[in-house]
Amino acid sequence: MDLQLLHIFRNTPLGRELMLQSAYFCRILKILPVIYVPQYMKFLMYFENDVVQVDLDGSYLRSPSTARDHAAEIIRQQGLAEPKFLEPKNFTASTLPDLPINFDFMCCPRTISDLSSKIGLGYIGPRVRRIIHSARFPVLIGCSVYKPWQSITVFFGGSANAVKALRLGFRLARLTGFPLDVFTQEGRRDRKYYEDVIEKENLGPEMDRYARQWRVYDSGEFIDNLYDVPHDALVIAGAYGHGVIKEVLFGSTLEKIQTQLPNTLLIVGPNYRAAM
Amino acid sequence: MTRFSKLNIWRYPSRWILFRLDDRLLLIIIGAIVGICSGLAAVAMCQGLLAMFAWMHHYRGIWWAFLLPGCGAAVAAVFLEKILKEGAGHGVPEVVYSVVRYGGLMRLRSSFSRLISGCLTIGSGGSAGPEAPVVMSGASIGSNIAQFFSLNDRQRVAIVGCGSAGALAAIFNAPITGLVFTIEVIVGEWSAVNVVPIAIASVAGAEVCRLLIGNQFLFSSLAFNVDLLDILACLGLAVFTAAASVLLTRGLRHSNRISFKLYNKMPMPFWVRPFIGGCLVGLIGLALPEILGEGYHVIRVMVKGAFTQGLLFVTVLMLAKILATALTLGWGGSGGIFAPCLAIGSFSGLVFHRFIDLLGPGVGWVDEGCFALLGMAGLTSGMLQAPLTGIFLIVEVTGGYGVILPLILVSAISATVTHAFEPASFYLKELVEKGHYLRPRTDERVLADLTVRELVEKDCIVVYKNMKLGDFANIVKKSHRNFFPVEDENTGNFVGMIHLDDIREYLFNPILYETVFLEQILDTNVATVDLDDDLTDVLERMDEKNLFTMPVVVNNRFVGTISKATLLDKYRSELMVQSYY
Repeated sequence: MDLQLLHIFRNTPLGRELMLQSAYFCRILKILPVIYVPQYMKFLMYFENDVVQVDLDGSYLRSPSTARDHAAEIIRQQGLAEPKFLEPKNFTASTLPDLPINFDFMCCPRTISDLSSKIGLGYIGPRVRRIIHSARFPVLIGCSVYKPWQSITVFFGGSANAVKALRLGFRLARLTGFPLDVFTQEGRRDRKYYEDVIEKENLGPEMDRYARQWRVYDSGEFIDNLYDVPHDALVIAGAYGHGVIKEVLFGSTLEKIQTQLPNTLLIVGPNYRAAM
Repeated sequence: MTRFSKLNIWRYPSRWILFRLDDRLLLIIIGAIVGICSGLAAVAMCQGLLAMFAWMHHYRGIWWAFLLPGCGAAVAAVFLEKILKEGAGHGVPEVVYSVVRYGGLMRLRSSFSRLISGCLTIGSGGSAGPEAPVVMSGASIGSNIAQFFSLNDRQRVAIVGCGSAGALAAIFNAPITGLVFTIEVIVGEWSAVNVVPIAIASVAGAEVCRLLIGNQFLFSSLAFNVDLLDILACLGLAVFTAAASVLLTRGLRHSNRISFKLYNKMPMPFWVRPFIGGCLVGLIGLALPEILGEGYHVIRVMVKGAFTQGLLFVTVLMLAKILATALTLGWGGSGGIFAPCLAIGSFSGLVFHRFIDLLGPGVGWVDEGCFALLGMAGLTSGMLQAPLTGIFLIVEVTGGYGVILPLILVSAISATVTHAFEPASFYLKELVEKGHYLRPRTDERVLADLTVRELVEKDCIVVYKNMKLGDFANIVKKSHRNFFPVEDENTGNFVGMIHLDDIREYLFNPILYETVFLEQILDTNVATVDLDDDLTDVLERMDEKNLFTMPVVVNNRFVGTISKATLLDKYRSELMVQSYY
């Protein structure tokens, strides 16, 4: 239970759905949820080489008197112990708390600064993107409505981040006992290339042990092939591929995934360090 | 080289061979770039202020002109809070906070936010200075350039210092002051690695200012002939400026408290607070226009010895400027304390000169312009508790070393006397009170940079409360530890600890092996540590209870132990990291 997940609680029905997903994730993986109930409209996260200011959507401060009770109730419903509420110790300015970053996971909605009406497939807000880019932890992006995931799907495209995502997938599969599917779209490279990457990274034994199936698509559009992803799978993917442009965007693969798949996403950023 | 690796060189500029030749060369090159950028920011601030002054000048004579500082401060607050969503402040403490706490990480928006809000506040007549906004802007430019080049914490701190130095050097046309201020106040340590790039940035910033605005002294003064009697009088001036420093420091804090009390008692929009403060300044300004704005014009007159009003009027001006500054900055206006320090300091010098002239009219004291200069140095040194900054600032802004001896005397004594009443400078007081002022290689800083999570030892064997003593004895044989966490086997909750020293009498009595359970002999009154606890607190608790090891428990679950031995190892490693260049 020494692993921790940071959750910024929003005391609204939408926030409840996300909290349920965090609580489920924590229960399945035996992680301690650390809940921050915002008291100010903004907060800072000082990462290793970046400082991210999150300007919250106004709904995060709604009904502060019931927020803690609601969050605790959801945690208890999932059979977890009492949640741990985060009280910021440091402030850059009197109304600007600094949140610690030494967590193992963080749960975010698709957008944290914009109005919740913007939340939908294909849109991940700029603050969430920056957190993913800078954080050492993977970011859990919940879907609009709570749905317990029963399997794990990893998108593996051969990049360094994809390898990290695959490792994380193996670890989650080991801890949860859920089946793991690996998806690869061949593109310009053939299957041998991806097998070599797995061989080089010494992931062969884990692939044999945990992967239920490795779907390598040599034909068809990537978007069309996404239909094969189980509807109740936790999708794990690396945030960035290669090149300059993909440093700014998520990388074309993840952009397609987050546009098409309504599943819960666990995104591994370029600075992710394995915690488990 | 593949297409991807060609592109990758742009992703990691800090890996360019040019920069990897030598870390110091890297800092010097980046420092020069940052110095130029922060110099440009300072020039932009100067030009913005000039434009604002020129625009506002036409409205000064109108009866409702007292509303202008209020409107300027309110617009600045709205700009900071609603448009840029940045918490307001004086700037310099935030730079110091980022340096001591987060290795100089600053937000990009800080590189321009205070320039604009400062222009609005000061240009409309608020009693504040443009130096803190440009220092913050320069520091933020430096921080973001350092982030772009993926520099490490210590390199980033040096580059933040470069930004601060370049900006201050540019706004005062004073490169040495930029260097000294940064080392004394922002970075807080003299080391060759810091000094060289900061000096280069300072020169670059000042050169940018000279190229774009011209090479001129901010306050050109006469040549002064200071004799022994004047130097003796300087001792009194130093004490007087120290008293003014203490008054200004406390005035700012009280004003801030009063404004917040009012704000908390009466529900009002956030911009009303700076508006009220600004309007009150405007009302004072109707009677005493000298106190409006940054006050450079009136300083120039005083330094030249051309200020004709009497002792009483100058005393009123000094107190009014202190009040106006407290109302502007304490009530949420945007700007810095540097320029008000210079103005109040020169008023103090003039007051003191006129007072001693009254006491000894036939003595033939040095010109009052000299005392105005010394007063500026005394007040700056007292407020910032940075005597070198005060000395070099006055030397550079006046362009002469003629009064260097009394300058040193006044600055040193004023800083010392002020320190006796206010142990931390205006910039650092809040940080010190909150325990955030952590300089590298100090005990607090080393401990703050370590976390309980890094020190947790997880190789403990967990035992259960319903375990028989005999089974436990077998476990003890395999373990190299003399303490064992005990859990409830049903709930998994931590219930206590067993120390071998406490149960030795039972452990060597085999008769008890089958009859005694661990629940009967464990220590349930155990002090525990949470993963989020500060190490300073953990160590205090260990010392209080004379413990060498404590269990780490999160939400009733045992996570591991933390020991002084591991802490010492990590402490040394961290100290070496902080000391390494």
